[in-house]
Amino acid sequence: MSAAREKRLPTPFLPGVAYLLAGLLVTFSVLAPGFASVPNLLNVGVQSSILLLLALPMTLIIMSEGLDLSMGAMLGLAGVTLATLLVDGTSLVFAAGAALAVGLLFGMANGWLIVSLGIPPFVATLGTLGIAQGLALVATDGQSVVGIGEQLPDLYASRWIGLPFSILVALVAYGVFHLLLYHTRFGTYVFAIGGHREALDLAGVRANLYHVAIYGVGGVMAGFAALVFTGRMNAGHPTAALGMEFDAIAAVIVGGTSFSRGDGWLPGTVLGVLAVGVLKNGLNVIAISSSLQVASIGLLVIAALLIDSLRGRR
Amino acid sequence: MPLVEMRGISKSFPGVRALDDVSLSIAAGEVHTLLGQNGAGKSTLIKVLYGAAHPEHGEFLFDGRPVRISSPSDARRLGIAVIFQEFSLVPFLDVAQNIFLGREISGRIPGTVDHGRMHAEARRLLDMLGSSLDTRVMAHELGIAQQQIVEIAKALSQNARILVMDEPTAALSEHEIARLFDLIRTLKADGLAVVYISHRLREVFAIADRVTVLRDGRQVASLRPAETSMGDLVRLMVGREVDTTYRHRFCDQPGEVALAVRDLHADNGIHGVNLDVRAGEIVGLAGLVGSGRTELARTIFGADRINRGHVRVFGRELKDRPDVSVGAGVGLVPENRKTEGLALVRSVHDNLLVAGLDRLFPEHWYRFRKAARVVGDLIARLQVVTPSPHRLTKFLSGGNQQKVVIGKWLNAGSRLYIFDEPTRGIDVGAKAEIYRLLENLVGQGAGVLMISSELPEIVAVCDRAYVMRDKVIVGELGRGDLTEENILRLAMHHG
Amino acid sequence: MKASNLGYRLGGVLIISVILALLSDAFLSASNLLNVLRQASLIFLLASGVTLVILAAGLDLSIGANVALSACLAATVIKLTGSIALGIVTGLSCGVVIGLVNGVLVTALRLPPFIATYGMLWVLHGITYWYMAGDTIYDFPPTFRALGSGYALGVPVPVYLMLGCLVAGGLFTRYTTYGHQIYAIGANTEVARLSGIPVRSRLNLVYTLSGAMAGLASVVYLARLNSAEADIGEPLMLPAIAAVLIGGTSLFGGIGSLSGTLVGALFLTLVLNGMNLLTIGANWQPLVTGVIVVAAAWVDIVARRRGEG
Repeated sequence: MSAAREKRLPTPFLPGVAYLLAGLLVTFSVLAPGFASVPNLLNVGVQSSILLLLALPMTLIIMSEGLDLSMGAMLGLAGVTLATLLVDGTSLVFAAGAALAVGLLFGMANGWLIVSLGIPPFVATLGTLGIAQGLALVATDGQSVVGIGEQLPDLYASRWIGLPFSILVALVAYGVFHLLLYHTRFGTYVFAIGGHREALDLAGVRANLYHVAIYGVGGVMAGFAALVFTGRMNAGHPTAALGMEFDAIAAVIVGGTSFSRGDGWLPGTVLGVLAVGVLKNGLNVIAISSSLQVASIGLLVIAALLIDSLRGRR
Repeated sequence: MPLVEMRGISKSFPGVRALDDVSLSIAAGEVHTLLGQNGAGKSTLIKVLYGAAHPEHGEFLFDGRPVRISSPSDARRLGIAVIFQEFSLVPFLDVAQNIFLGREISGRIPGTVDHGRMHAEARRLLDMLGSSLDTRVMAHELGIAQQQIVEIAKALSQNARILVMDEPTAALSEHEIARLFDLIRTLKADGLAVVYISHRLREVFAIADRVTVLRDGRQVASLRPAETSMGDLVRLMVGREVDTTYRHRFCDQPGEVALAVRDLHADNGIHGVNLDVRAGEIVGLAGLVGSGRTELARTIFGADRINRGHVRVFGRELKDRPDVSVGAGVGLVPENRKTEGLALVRSVHDNLLVAGLDRLFPEHWYRFRKAARVVGDLIARLQVVTPSPHRLTKFLSGGNQQKVVIGKWLNAGSRLYIFDEPTRGIDVGAKAEIYRLLENLVGQGAGVLMISSELPEIVAVCDRAYVMRDKVIVGELGRGDLTEENILRLAMHHG
Repeated sequence: MKASNLGYRLGGVLIISVILALLSDAFLSASNLLNVLRQASLIFLLASGVTLVILAAGLDLSIGANVALSACLAATVIKLTGSIALGIVTGLSCGVVIGLVNGVLVTALRLPPFIATYGMLWVLHGITYWYMAGDTIYDFPPTFRALGSGYALGVPVPVYLMLGCLVAGGLFTRYTTYGHQIYAIGANTEVARLSGIPVRSRLNLVYTLSGAMAGLASVVYLARLNSAEADIGEPLMLPAIAAVLIGGTSLFGGIGSLSGTLVGALFLTLVLNGMNLLTIGANWQPLVTGVIVVAAAWVDIVARRRGEG
């Protein structure tokens, strides 16, 4: 094969999302003097950490040509479960376990509806969104669950090796997902499910099992996010996290993961999360209302889709 | 002793005897070529060999012992590996991950994979194959020839003893083919048996130790290349009985130019194509699978993007948009009837009218009584056998489905018909009906361009034919020299 | 097959009515039944546009957000100009423009419809909240309010609108070539394209109509509520999609009807009304609607598999 000796592509070319992030950082530093301060940037990190917890599994889900609209609602339900148990005086470990179990249950249900029954992901998770949100509302009568004690808020406020707890959780989560996607069978099969499903079947792998598990992982991560979110809010709120799945989806798409080719890039998702976080924070600092922040992220998604569609067409 | 023996294999599909008492014996260290036209039974034989199809009769011997192969995993356990024309690589996994997909080398922690060892092992396999391909490259960055190498390495990593390759050279350049042959010789020397399926006669003489020729599901010869010649092989392949006594009355006075294609280039690889079809003519478009016939048909119809050149239908220039083409009177009867020709979940009625709605009801007002009358007329005229016009088309037989597709274009007022394999999957009786319909179409002044892999069909039905190879037209055969041998000679690229 | 299917669904509506009549004395009162019809007609107006989109194998997730923005703009115009007509025109045009943009995203720019309209949802959501900035616009002229809460000949006005849209939509889907082409696109888009149907322009039409119906629904909804807030559209999307699915329109396109959606809207309203009568709180609504969506999608898939097998 001497003549056709393969050169690797000059891989570490900077992806678009890196330019986007850099551009946003520069723009806001110029526009708003307060933006580039250490406390504010740390704040961006803290705000982004919960988003990352959702965006990491969302990356795997989108890679498998799926989607999960129920993540914010799952987070809400898990958070309400956690808070209610804490109010009842249950130990933090047990309450957290219950929150994760709720997430796992819903995630697996999503996977079952989508993979085993064949309901399109959009509709299936729209349904479970309603179910999870409804359960949270019914359980709390629409009220915040307050009085959750000191343990969780203390944990949230704690610092580990100089880092806020939420950032630490996000870092650990990234490490685990990196390992999961790039160094395990499961990760290999995530690429294969989105990229060439028949290849897995031909290789004798039970692809459905792994496919359902992808959604299960999504549910568990919604549970973890609920842990951090509840600590930050010092309460369990049934609807406060609704819509967070959109930020996660935006971060993943902006980060360069494609809807249709089994092509995903975990570091891109981190950059995407940061881009979304910086955009929100920066617009905040220059006093643009949070509602326009939402609209701008919507536009960002449509723009990213457009770029992806142009790239795919070539 | 042969490594594997298949004895007296017979396999039928509804209406077709796909394999009829075929016996094949393959020895270790031998390259055994299967030769035959489309539909001769090659792919069915391969399916039987790797357990994807189950024969009604026949037995397998492996290493002299009788075995049962009832699933692809049985075949894999015995060491039978198949490399299909469509590769099964995952685009965003690297070469090593693809080679070991489903059989990853585990790391120390359960569930993890040991990339280091997988790369080392993949390196060793590729070195054995004389390839310096980087094991860290993603599959989607590989060219066809390189993907093929990865597939071969994948087969070797499963300790394959028999490697089946389906048309491995279809998309390779001359240079790459030469290298593939070197590789096959190496594998052979290592004691592997290679089953090699091809249309290309030259390759048989270049690489095969044994040739088995199939025709209409029967084994017509099994011999050594040295014992034969290209001419003999061609005769063995085409010596096929024409299904009907059908003979087309030649068109003596073709009318105006129905279709004029000039210097056509398209994204799908079609380049520099010129052709003409006149009203009243049935013009064949022959060539091997992958020669670009379907692509040319789609480009003319406007389904694929045109880069350069012109398509004119009855003097009207087409853009690459099917709605414009249909408006100009072009109808495409596609090869994939069930995915491109018919909406299977809709009724005969709806499918018959779908292309001509705006023509039938120019004021866009759908009148059910008129629609029913038109549908009734079409069903009667085409003799579509259906209990009701509202029967879903998925419940019709292949022949009747095809009639519905043709009826759709009759209703749309088409005057230029492009047929892509019009009689594929259709039983003998219905075939004759389809031919009669073609005849009627041209009798009424339409032009027909007909793609077919069945050479007797081209010879019997067409006034003249173009032959394609490598996405261009390589020759035109007029009435005098339109024979199966001549078509094959042009299509196969030798002398 | 289609007719009997609708029969089953109508049967479901009857059964649930009987159950409700047995459980609650208030159910069979004229005022409650008229109320059910009024509620159903609001859902139907919104769901009818989505029905067209789903028939063409697409999806429009932006309808709820569309209603919110259209209603808020219409409210502003009525307050500013005092002209009801101008307000209605504003609401309708806003809906149409949003639908048109969706159509362009899906057809000209070839974005996947689900995610494109989902992105649109959040763009509209943000714009509406920004525009309203927490305000409420309320108290409209009685003639305008009659559009949502008035009666004519003892029947709520929105019911007439619903029937009008059902007839117009039914004529459009059954008696025009456009309607037949939309079914063809939904059944198999590639076959439709290769049959010379101008797929893009038909899809554009479908998304625009969906936007227009959201605009119309926004006006009626505004008239009914007599107040506009940024969040008024949010609870509408799930019920509208649920009504379409209960009505037997297949998620995969090509099968379904507006009359089915009417039955679906009635069914859903009866369930929600019944919960109301039985004093089951509004907090249960998303839960019940979610279960209905999943169940209806499942039924669709089972029916499809059976048809194939």
